[in-house]
Amino acid sequence: MGKCFSTLQFHTSRCDGCGDCMTACAQAKANTDDQAYSRIHILPKTAGEVVELALCRQCADPICVMNCPSGALSKNGDTGVIDWAESKCVNCLLCTAGCAYAGIVYEAKVGHVAKCDLCDGDPACVKVCPSEAIEYRTAARIFNAYAGKEDMFCRGLSACHGCNSELLIRHTMRMVGPDSVVAAPPGCIPGMGTVGYNGQTGAKVPIFHSLLTNTATMLAGVKMQYNRVGRDVTAIALAGDGGTSDAGFQSVSGAAERNDPILFICVDNEGYMNTGMQSSGVTPYGSWTSTTPVGGQMQGKRTEAKNLPIIMTMHNCSYVATASTAFLEDYYAKLEKAIKVAKTGMAYLHVHAPCPTGWRFPSGITTEVCRMQVRTNFVALWEYDPENGLRFTHPVDRPEPVADYLKMIGKYRHLSEEQIAHIQRTVDEKITYLRQLTVMAATRHPASVH
Amino acid sequence: MTAVTDTSRSASNKPSFVVCEGNEAAAIGVGLARPDVVAVYPITPQSSLVEHLSQMIADGRLQADLMNVEGEHAVMCGLQGVALAGGRTFTATCGPGLAFMFEPYVRTPGLRLPMVASLVTRDLLTPQCVWGGQQDAMVVREAGWIQMYCETVQEILDSTVMAYKIAEHRDVMLPINVCHDGNYLSFGVTRVEVPDQQDVDEFLGPPNTNWHIALDPLRPMGVDPLTGGAGGAGPRNFVRYRKGQVRGMQNALRVIREVHAAWGERFGRYHAPLVEEYRLDDADYALVTIGSMTGAAKDAIDIARDKGEAVGLIKIKTFRPFPLEAMVAALAKVKRIGVVDRSVSFGWNCGPLYQDTLGAIYHTGRAIPAISFIGGLAGADITVEHFARAIALTREAEWGRISSEPVWLNEND
Amino acid sequence: MRSKYMIVGSSHAALEAATAIRLIDADGTLTLLTRDAHLPYSPTILPYVVSGRSQPDNVVLRDQAYFNDNAIVFVPGATVVSIDPAQSSLRLASGDTWRYDRLLIATGAAPMLPPVRGLTDVPFHVLRSLDDAINLRQAMGQARSAIVLGAGLIGMHTAENMAKADIAVTVVELQSHALAGYFEPRASAIIERTFARNGISMLMGQTLRSVERKGDGCLATLADGQTIAADLLLLCTGVKPNIGFLNGSGIEVDTGILVDDLMRTNLPNIWAAGDVAQARGFWGGKVINGILPNAVGQGRIAGLGMADDAGVTPFAGVVPLNTYSFFGQQAISVGRGSTGSGFEIEECGNEADGVYRHIVLKDGQLVGIATINDFIDAGIMWQLILRGTDLSPVKAEFIANPQLTGRRLMSQTWR
Ligand SMILES: Cc1cc2nc3c(=O)[nH]c(=O)nc-3n(C[C@H](O)[C@H](O)[C@H](O)COP(=O)(O)OP(=O)(O)OC[C@H]3O[C@@H](n4cnc5c(N)ncnc54)[C@H](O)[C@@H]3O)c2cc1C
Repeated sequence: MGKCFSTLQFHTSRCDGCGDCMTACAQAKANTDDQAYSRIHILPKTAGEVVELALCRQCADPICVMNCPSGALSKNGDTGVIDWAESKCVNCLLCTAGCAYAGIVYEAKVGHVAKCDLCDGDPACVKVCPSEAIEYRTAARIFNAYAGKEDMFCRGLSACHGCNSELLIRHTMRMVGPDSVVAAPPGCIPGMGTVGYNGQTGAKVPIFHSLLTNTATMLAGVKMQYNRVGRDVTAIALAGDGGTSDAGFQSVSGAAERNDPILFICVDNEGYMNTGMQSSGVTPYGSWTSTTPVGGQMQGKRTEAKNLPIIMTMHNCSYVATASTAFLEDYYAKLEKAIKVAKTGMAYLHVHAPCPTGWRFPSGITTEVCRMQVRTNFVALWEYDPENGLRFTHPVDRPEPVADYLKMIGKYRHLSEEQIAHIQRTVDEKITYLRQLTVMAATRHPASVH
Repeated sequence: MTAVTDTSRSASNKPSFVVCEGNEAAAIGVGLARPDVVAVYPITPQSSLVEHLSQMIADGRLQADLMNVEGEHAVMCGLQGVALAGGRTFTATCGPGLAFMFEPYVRTPGLRLPMVASLVTRDLLTPQCVWGGQQDAMVVREAGWIQMYCETVQEILDSTVMAYKIAEHRDVMLPINVCHDGNYLSFGVTRVEVPDQQDVDEFLGPPNTNWHIALDPLRPMGVDPLTGGAGGAGPRNFVRYRKGQVRGMQNALRVIREVHAAWGERFGRYHAPLVEEYRLDDADYALVTIGSMTGAAKDAIDIARDKGEAVGLIKIKTFRPFPLEAMVAALAKVKRIGVVDRSVSFGWNCGPLYQDTLGAIYHTGRAIPAISFIGGLAGADITVEHFARAIALTREAEWGRISSEPVWLNEND
Repeated sequence: MRSKYMIVGSSHAALEAATAIRLIDADGTLTLLTRDAHLPYSPTILPYVVSGRSQPDNVVLRDQAYFNDNAIVFVPGATVVSIDPAQSSLRLASGDTWRYDRLLIATGAAPMLPPVRGLTDVPFHVLRSLDDAINLRQAMGQARSAIVLGAGLIGMHTAENMAKADIAVTVVELQSHALAGYFEPRASAIIERTFARNGISMLMGQTLRSVERKGDGCLATLADGQTIAADLLLLCTGVKPNIGFLNGSGIEVDTGILVDDLMRTNLPNIWAAGDVAQARGFWGGKVINGILPNAVGQGRIAGLGMADDAGVTPFAGVVPLNTYSFFGQQAISVGRGSTGSGFEIEECGNEADGVYRHIVLKDGQLVGIATINDFIDAGIMWQLILRGTDLSPVKAEFIANPQLTGRRLMSQTWR
């Protein structure tokens, strides 16, 4: 199993070229404010262009290292950083010939080549960036920690092309591990074969094809019995939005109110996608579905989606969070918490699952669609617990227009300008509402905000 | 309603006595069976049963976990989870509650989960009413649950304990409804004998709910995977499975008899396991009854006997599985029959018990005249007088003179 | 003895091929045979061994532990003397025979000795192996004067080292200016002047007619008749591929081994890479350009091909490239100069303060760029040439600031 490494990510659209990162780098590496000593190079905007960056990408297969005749450069197997040993370097500059991004360059003022070393895993540039244009991506931690763990589902699940639910459940169950009981109510997750066919199973953990209506309670029963006999078993639901928001809601609500110690994951593809794309209680306004069609008298769904995760917070259960598979680090952090919480109380995760088949978009862009949901604030990423209230885990202060999201997806193709404006308005209102909740949380618990 | 405890409580292995209502007797029986989890949701006339259990748990008299859920649907689902994880369960419901429970209820026998649940029978809406009647139980008679109907408060207690042993028998592995009539038995107060806990522990043995199907990380399996459609292995698997379920039902007829016999040996009370024959051996004709009405019916039989009538009675305790053999043996003894139902079969213009009795008569190889009586709906009392009328009509039953209409006993009350 | 993968040589091309093979095939037997007695090192490091900046025991590119970890059999002191493709076998000077399934010839090049009368009678040095470097460094300890024949990279670099060791150095070069392969006369002039300023006698457009022994050193006679005595004679007049052992093998050679874009020779199961291989030139023909990055790139392609990697990218062609430091200054050259009409040449800089820039464009694409004391990213310029990036939209910017413009362009392609 190979290893993954943390790395710097640069968002040119967020960068205003202030150069604080370069000053911080010069400070960290040479104890001076002189940006000539910086190892990160922000390349100023030219007319009509955006800010660019020259920085060591800590390549996996680094040509600078191959080109080095002195053995001064090496890829560090633990950190992934391309280490430079001053004692061995002869300044031949052949490394610079191997780099297509000016990640290692001759610094005249220093008199030798210099390159980013990621500040031992705590990059100075990231900390000073005022616009979060440089991010230190630590998703590798996830891979390193979990890729080697056993996949709890069998091979060959028959999810549609481009479906992120399979990705999600495989990731999730790797982390949850074998001491668990899974319940999957009717929907895509059983449909893709997880619950098995004709006497065989699709999972390596005990799995139950529960009813659309009873998943949460049934798991609560499982968990109650294991608690009774003193066994630590995670009871986890992998449910669709129908099994959560509609027919399944009473059960979910009851479990949440009782704070039953279960982990309930709602994989929200905004409708009954397994049975032919019918509308559900969380299908957004304007969506085409096979039961909210588009015709002379009707332009897709006429009512709003219910805000299920917010409703869940109103139950005061131990943990509620939203998540997106385009932000796996965020998801993993939440899942980690949820698993812990679910030993004693109910954890509810609402994960968005754009459906290429039912929503009509190319299967290759699912993750891009997920990302746009968040970047437009169509989906907000937050978490809640009764003690600390609600907080954003990935605030998007300068959202992109929701129209840019809608136009990626076929089920919105028919939308009129007014409908799009309406959706934008409701997205704005929803985010304002959430912001108010975060403010409330912060004023209610000033001390607990770290 | 608080039970009045007999002051002469006996020592270990001696029974104690209480005076209590039928719902409490059921609760006491449940307590003796030591379930792991009791799921509760109130509904008339069952509510006091789960209230008693809740109080027993609150007092520490019953070491079970209490699951307070948001409806009967959740009750059944939660208990399925418990059973799949190896626990012994209990709940009680009736009427609309049972209707709401229906979705997971019908799945329980298929999962072969040996649950025990009291059905405190109630008439079904509409008309809106909260009174006794057996329409609820009769509606689910094809759902795959074993149904045993109690005649007395003592039988409720005893049958509730026995039900666990029957349900959890390896040849059965099916859920049981211990049915007792709403109002008449649920709130009827009598003195009952409570067996000693240790005796009951020995009688029942440890729970045995999920050796065959489990949600247990130590034995991972897909519980109830999808069954493929026609053309593949699906239908074949499905049929094999159904046949097994039907076989379990038939095995239950034997197991119910064995368990009742064992109960009698240990506790001295012999309840008829499937069918009770009352003054039948020299009878010309007989009534068929079910549940608590049987008490009044027996009185009416005794009165008629005193008057020289050769009448007897057949009481059905186990209605599902239908005790065909026992019924055939009983029916073979008489020439005319009157069947008293506390519910209706909408399609057959008679009572369901009547209809099944006709099926059994076919197996005697001898057609006899039979009349359908329907009484006790919506909590109405079926009195000795009602039964006297039924006896009189049955005596007169003759081919060609039997109305195609049932006789509605309480029609003119 | 038998090896699935057999690599002859242990320098850049060989090592990169071994790495690439192991990326694809973790188990197949893999053997490196090398004539050299040492653990792998780079010839490029030798000037620094000569100067004393690098210690001979601190220049190892792969140690024995690496070979153990990667299940590679490393056989030093193994000189291949012949190859028999029909038998898939090769023979060593020791008489041992090895059989192979797939063979890579990465034997590099050796110094070419100039036709100078009397050369066999005088002691002289070359610089290609670690032993050469150790010998030269030792000899420099005793020498007070030296002649360096050839003002190529190796000659110039070593001359500088000698000057720094207080040796009176004369550089003799047949061409009219130093480093003629990489720099225009104007650029070379800056470099030559720096050398002269540091006491090095630069005799350009000159050659040695003959040498004779004089004491422990030699007396050289130049083409113009002047004579120079020196304690030390270093020959740096170019290299020639090590292909002598291929005689009779049927492997097609010209100056070097002729290879296609996947580094395959004309014979099945035989590849060649690095200084020994004559491969596609970026601007046509089959050429040898003995530089390290080429050896690395070709070695990788050969290795992937040997391990049947379907994703191997064919060789894009040789583009000359050179990064050269002298007396604390930098000279960088990527690509080539103009070779006829249709080229745009942009030259700027100031010889007096030693800064110089020379850009050659054709059809909006970069053909070559050379700078002195004006840092450009060689890797970026190399990519701009290889990718044929259209510079016309940013031409003025590029000419004014090639470093910034190049970085911007490559940053865009990254996103
Ligand atoms: C002094 C010096 C300075 C240099 N500076 C630079 C520079 O600044 N920039 C640059 O780009 N390039 C430079 N080069 C060139 C660069 O080092 C070569 O291009 C590169 O080393 C070629 O690698 P290679 O693997 O093809 O062959 P080589 O490095 O020549 O290695 C050949 C290998 O084959 C082995 N071998 C040869 N014949 C046999 C045989 N018959 N049997 C077994 N083994 C055999 C040798 O032992 C050796 O291991 C320099 C070279 C020298 C000598």
